[in-house]
Amino acid sequence: MATINLTAKDGSPVSFVDEIIGSGGMKDVYFSPDRSYVVAFFRDPQDANARDRLDNIVSTYRQRIFDQPGGEYWKELFCWPTKIVEHAGKLGIVAPTYAKHFFFAHGSKNNDMLQIKGKEKQGKWFAAAKLRSKFLHPQELGDWRMHLTTCIKICRAVRRMHAAGLAHSDLSYKNVLIDPVGGNACIIDIDGLVVPGKYPPDVVGTADFIAPEVMATLTLPKGAPNRALPRIETDRHALAVLVYMYLLYRHPLRGGKIHDTNDPQKDEELGMGPKALFIEHPSDASNRPRVANLQPSELPWGDVTKRPYSIVGPYLRDIFNRAFIDGLHDPNKRPTANDWELALVKTVDLIQPCANPNCEQKWYVFDNSTKPACPFCSTPYSGELPVINLYSSRGKGKFLPDNHRLMVYTNQYLYPWHVNRTIFPNEKLSEEQRKPVGYFVLHNGKWVLVNQRLPALKDVTQNKEIPINTMVELVDGQQLLLSPEDGGRLLQIQMVKA
Amino acid sequence: MSRRLPVYLLLDTSGSMHGEPIEQVKNGVQTLVAALRQDPHALETAYLSIITFDSQAKQVVPLTDLASFQLPGLKASGSTALGDALSLVADCRQREVVKTTTEVRGDWKPMVFLMSDGVPDSGWESGLNRFRQEKWGVIVGCAVGQHGDTQVLSQVAGPESVVMLETADPGSISAFFKWVSASISVGSQKVDSGQKEVSGLSELPPPPPEIQVVGV
Repeated sequence: MATINLTAKDGSPVSFVDEIIGSGGMKDVYFSPDRSYVVAFFRDPQDANARDRLDNIVSTYRQRIFDQPGGEYWKELFCWPTKIVEHAGKLGIVAPTYAKHFFFAHGSKNNDMLQIKGKEKQGKWFAAAKLRSKFLHPQELGDWRMHLTTCIKICRAVRRMHAAGLAHSDLSYKNVLIDPVGGNACIIDIDGLVVPGKYPPDVVGTADFIAPEVMATLTLPKGAPNRALPRIETDRHALAVLVYMYLLYRHPLRGGKIHDTNDPQKDEELGMGPKALFIEHPSDASNRPRVANLQPSELPWGDVTKRPYSIVGPYLRDIFNRAFIDGLHDPNKRPTANDWELALVKTVDLIQPCANPNCEQKWYVFDNSTKPACPFCSTPYSGELPVINLYSSRGKGKFLPDNHRLMVYTNQYLYPWHVNRTIFPNEKLSEEQRKPVGYFVLHNGKWVLVNQRLPALKDVTQNKEIPINTMVELVDGQQLLLSPEDGGRLLQIQMVKA
Repeated sequence: MSRRLPVYLLLDTSGSMHGEPIEQVKNGVQTLVAALRQDPHALETAYLSIITFDSQAKQVVPLTDLASFQLPGLKASGSTALGDALSLVADCRQREVVKTTTEVRGDWKPMVFLMSDGVPDSGWESGLNRFRQEKWGVIVGCAVGQHGDTQVLSQVAGPESVVMLETADPGSISAFFKWVSASISVGSQKVDSGQKEVSGLSELPPPPPEIQVVGV
């Protein structure tokens, strides 16, 4: 195949091998000779507005995110176009090649019956119970903890875009690659992004992710004042749907309620638009999935009585309520990407490893009930479990609850973001802040915290310092001060017997 | 709780398709199924049926999910019983496509892709009348080669939904099936698509250069 050499608009050299490796809705994609980047040409001519937008995407908008301290971090989370080229009358963009973990290593079951090994991991594969149970190779599925991590990455990336004043406008499992094995995610197809007041959207979105107000006003003319179009608030709806689907493998609005028996299109528009209703709405059960109509491969996930959304824990449950009850038809009430990230990160502190080695999900949110069990495989939790409520100092000697709880398991690490309220685990962490400061372990039948790097760890109840490289036994009612600094955390220990 | 998307392929297997053309059609269907199996959305929702017509019409594959779909051998001989094929697909739709009730979310309206390289046997219009009694989603007529009757196909598919392959060469037939596969896969919805029902070519991906759109 011939290699074609071009000069990008910014003056740098660009080469591609003249063989299409893939075609999307609007573009044909080619590899660079070393496959470190791709060149994607728009099949149709782009108007002045679209060209201007692309110019900004590869320059100003890209610099706003990547040319900042810590900008490197975002390279994993976005496949951001870097250059513009023109060839044979067609406009093209240059973008990095997707990382290796976004291609199937095993593919599908039965000796890769679908022949998807080596293909991109489009998110949809992981968002539907039927596709997971019937087709995907078990080694592609990842565990539930890694699904939480994957969702954190998606929310973080969306939060960053929104902070830069940009809306993706077509967030969907097609435009977000995910790797639940390694807990990775990457936002792709950024060339359509929307800037409020400057670049209007080209697409209304992808079925499953279109916000109800956009769906409800589809028929209005393009410029009508009431016509709702994609923007940051609609991204928030799409994000909520993504998180729900990646944690519960079903769609939050596709239930049993039929809105039009004659016309499927009308039914779809009502059910995703003005009549959209959360399938797990606590007081309106009219859209509950009809289990009898589901295929066996969709169960048990499709049955909301077997896998209610409460299994995601209190922080996420509240956010789902805001997204699918309060904010479903009220865009201003929708949780932000930052709210999602926060709730997901806190939920990671609630999970326990399942005692059943064959449990498909491996991790679950401990529900602190009288008979705690894995909600996925019903294996009971047995033994004593330290539950830690976090408080933090707000001025001298005053501690307030942080609505943040930590469920302890063996070899669980304590990190700087547990030590101080002002530290949050995200892209801003320093190398030093990424290292654990202590860990929990069941030692001779007793739960202990081993102090690795906390210079001022103190058992307040006993009024006793716990020096580095020593340990403290956890007992019910005990209070441990991790740091005397402002924002420093106080741990209130509760021992739960199960 | 997704709706199923039924897809009917009506394939001309009359004598004139004998030899390379029918082999290319078989390859085309194989490629189509293989491509759709790699699309998770299609794999979850699309169901495919094949109806062939020569001196008579036959449903060689009932509406089947993509994972279980197996293409039987196709042979080309005989005349062009298009009318039979149209009434057969209407009967199949009656029987196979799930109707929506207040209790059950039924299927999407079926997509129909009709490929023919010749003039239909006389009396085909009664089949057309039967066909028109049913509700369909996208209908695309594809005339193959210089004898393909675009006038007839436009009566089935509508004047704006007929395409033509100039010759029955491997490249064109394969390009057609690739386009059918892209048409079954769904993508982002354009802002100006309104709520129009998916029914014309304008709602499908643009056909590749091998496929000519016949504006009648």
